[in-house]
Amino acid sequence: MRSDLRRLATEMAVIVLVAAAVGIAWNFRLLRDVWQGHASTASAPSLPAPNAPAEPLPLGLIQIKELVDSKEAVIIDARDREAFRKGHISGALSLPLGEADRLVPELVAKTPKEKLLVVYCNGYDCHDSKTLGRRLLAAGFGQVFVFEGGFPEWRDAGYPVAQGGE
Amino acid sequence: MQPVARHLTAVLRVALGAVFLYAGMLKISNPAAFAGSIASYQVIGYVGTYVVAAILPWVEVICGALLVTGWRARTAAAMAVVLNVVFIVLLFSTVVRGLDIDCGCFRQGGEKTSAWTAIFRDLMLMVAAGFIYRKGTR
Repeated sequence: MRSDLRRLATEMAVIVLVAAAVGIAWNFRLLRDVWQGHASTASAPSLPAPNAPAEPLPLGLIQIKELVDSKEAVIIDARDREAFRKGHISGALSLPLGEADRLVPELVAKTPKEKLLVVYCNGYDCHDSKTLGRRLLAAGFGQVFVFEGGFPEWRDAGYPVAQGGE
Repeated sequence: MQPVARHLTAVLRVALGAVFLYAGMLKISNPAAFAGSIASYQVIGYVGTYVVAAILPWVEVICGALLVTGWRARTAAAMAVVLNVVFIVLLFSTVVRGLDIDCGCFRQGGEKTSAWTAIFRDLMLMVAAGFIYRKGTR
């Protein structure tokens, strides 16, 4: 009985270890980016990253909530104006991807390059936030992050939502 | 074992395995989205959500494969019981904390599944896994 349980526990541990090895190897690049993104925001949120990444890095709901509460970051809504008017993260700036040619230079003119930017759109199936994030990196901003859960995850978590505005 | 019980165990084993395979593969295809689902539970930190998102789907896939093939099925069933207990505790904690989130059990970012629905589903899966564990061959 006891040896049976020991064998069961051992086999379960093997399953977890194999899953960990495969999972970490499979997602190595993602985990590396996440680790680097986490390190840069945790240690020096107001300083420009020494080597700005070519891709905007992902940030999770908890981190976005902290950044919104502390007002450390400019939160950018990449959806169209109509979606923004219906509901957006409280305090977010509307910068639809379709108007990026006109609005990104305006943002560059009035925002320090070392400012932390967080872009979101309409959840995991929406890629506008990532595309806009790349544009912002190309425009010279050093710290651009993407909140992949976007407005749906924020709203579903019960966090502050605003309506209207431009 | 009675023939009926043996067949029932086999049917449950393959069905449970298929559910785990399906759930795991959906998450493997979109780990960032699954990380977002884990983050919405507000239990572990940023890096932790991605580490769990990278590993947990593979635990599900391995258990699913073991259950479907029948090799080390009792171990996989025991693992399924443990996983479902963890899922149920986490889901229940979202109810207690008033978090109205999608459970993130299958397709990420899709239609929202309420915590109570997910708890009921996980209870069913846990009972099935417990049955397989008890009746399964050693």
